[in-house]
Amino acid sequence: MIIELKDVNKTYPGAVPLHVLKGINLNIDRGELVSIMGASGSGKSTLLNIIGILDNYDSGQYILDGVEIKNLSENRAAELRNRMIGFVFQSFNLINYKNAVENVALPLFYQGISRKKRNMLAMEQLERMGLADRAHHLPSEMSGGQKQRVAIARALITNPSLILADEPTGALDSKTSKDVMEVFRQLNADGMTIVIVTHDPGVGQQTNRIIRISDGIITPDNV
Amino acid sequence: MKSVIFDIENWREIGATLSRNKTRTFLTAFGIFWGTAMLAMLWGGASGLEGMLKRNFQGFATNMGACFPQRTTLPYRGFNKGMSWQLNDGDIAYVRRTCPYIELSSTMNFGGASVKYGTKSNGGRIQGVEGDFFKMQLPVLYEGRLINESDVTQTRKVAILGKNVADELMGKESAVGKYVSVNDIYFLVIGVVGQTSEASIGGRMDDSVIIPSTTMRRAFNKGDKVDFFIYTAQKGHTPKDIEPFVWRAVRTNHPLNPSDNDAAWFMDISEQFKMVDNLFLGISILALFVGAGTLLAGIIGIGNIMWIIVKERTQEIGIRRAIGATPRDIITQILSESMVLTAIAGVGGICFAAIVLAIADKITFDPKLGSAHFQLMFGHAVTIMITFLILGTAAGLIPAIKAMRIKPIEAINDK
Repeated sequence: MIIELKDVNKTYPGAVPLHVLKGINLNIDRGELVSIMGASGSGKSTLLNIIGILDNYDSGQYILDGVEIKNLSENRAAELRNRMIGFVFQSFNLINYKNAVENVALPLFYQGISRKKRNMLAMEQLERMGLADRAHHLPSEMSGGQKQRVAIARALITNPSLILADEPTGALDSKTSKDVMEVFRQLNADGMTIVIVTHDPGVGQQTNRIIRISDGIITPDNV
Repeated sequence: MKSVIFDIENWREIGATLSRNKTRTFLTAFGIFWGTAMLAMLWGGASGLEGMLKRNFQGFATNMGACFPQRTTLPYRGFNKGMSWQLNDGDIAYVRRTCPYIELSSTMNFGGASVKYGTKSNGGRIQGVEGDFFKMQLPVLYEGRLINESDVTQTRKVAILGKNVADELMGKESAVGKYVSVNDIYFLVIGVVGQTSEASIGGRMDDSVIIPSTTMRRAFNKGDKVDFFIYTAQKGHTPKDIEPFVWRAVRTNHPLNPSDNDAAWFMDISEQFKMVDNLFLGISILALFVGAGTLLAGIIGIGNIMWIIVKERTQEIGIRRAIGATPRDIITQILSESMVLTAIAGVGGICFAAIVLAIADKITFDPKLGSAHFQLMFGHAVTIMITFLILGTAAGLIPAIKAMRIKPIEAINDK
């Protein structure tokens, strides 16, 4: 079991407190390719943030690859994100003044790995994504699909326990979306656990399991 | 934990970030550059202005006093008021014997002179002085030598010509060793002098003929009379301290009413110089004030730019946080960037100021008076640098803390 969520609740405080997650129970096994689907406002982004250790939850329990994620310090959270999770975002979130290889290598910088080694590892990942010839291009010089593949390479470089993708095809056309999904399926075939948050049924169809979330609760029509 | 300073990776990262964002780096750097340059120029400029004014008094003893006898204003011992009296050799000997705090002193006699050499003549002024006179007013010695103690004690008939007098009488010829007639008495010329300082006592040396005071009194029938007496105070004393002792000495020898403080006029040059010093204190305070303002503006500028930079980089910082940067990594990065910028731009600013000051120094250079010292002391430059580094970092701290607090989700959702 790589992700284990037990009765996870999350409320955003405010004048009118917003109870976003109302007891989420979710298990994801190693090697799964899962999509989390739901309408906007359903709580799927909050769930993603909690799974990605970007946000805290109020009650319940979350165990990620055997580590209980609860009340972590910022430093510990940063370290766990760095080592266990590879993020892929809708808007790619590449650093615009760094070229592809530097962007891919950045997570290793925060592990204190030497430039030579991290650039070498970054090149390996780019080759794996078929982008070796774009290694020294800035994000602004690349197409959306290429940028997303650079982002996937960056997610992979720390050899994480899981890849967490937030609407990875949201900013791409259908042809490129297909390519990116193909990349995810290939990675999954190689054994990587992948969780994709999306509201695109077409993307959901290409995953092995769809988890539907609605109004803060996982709806029980799981396949 | 990675070491911050000794990790080459950190420096590479900073270098890369700064060099990839050229406009931003340039704008920040220019603010710091200008701040340090202004401060350095102000500091060096104030020193230069002071030097320019002070060099006018170069070679002029600033702790000099003088005693000029006047008419009495009170009757005493049967002498009516309005009596004139003169200093004489006896007074001077007594003063020198009894007055403490006097370092250098010289009697002075004055007269008009008609100086002739061959067919040329020059109407000027004649001064009778003692050897110490030239220590109180340093002359520029163009040739020959100055009057010394032996000339005075042996009443030698020697003369020093002012530069203008010598030029007029001898032209380009050397004056030393020639005999000139002063009021129809022949004197051997031993030197030609000019005046260093713009300030003088008893007229500019360049236009005078200077002879030993003893010779002057004997040759021109002044007997033992001394026109006035100049002296300098020892270190730690002012000419004012000497006044009461001179008063006591002259009252012993002359029928002067003990309450008659107008029977002699005492000059105290140090008071005038105190005014000049106060003026420069004022200039320094003003420079400091304006400098502090410039500094403050510069620092606020750094803080402001760092703030904008952090705002602009919110997303980038969020990405870095998401992929594993700790808050400490972020604050280190922001502060290191601002420190590197401050250090480089600050050194640049000081170099620029040094060049400007060097040009100012060159322009105001006077062949006779020398440099006005439009210069920035190394210590001052270091002070400016350290101040900017510390305050610049402090100013960058608030934005850096803000950057540190950026939560990855805020930044990433900020689309």
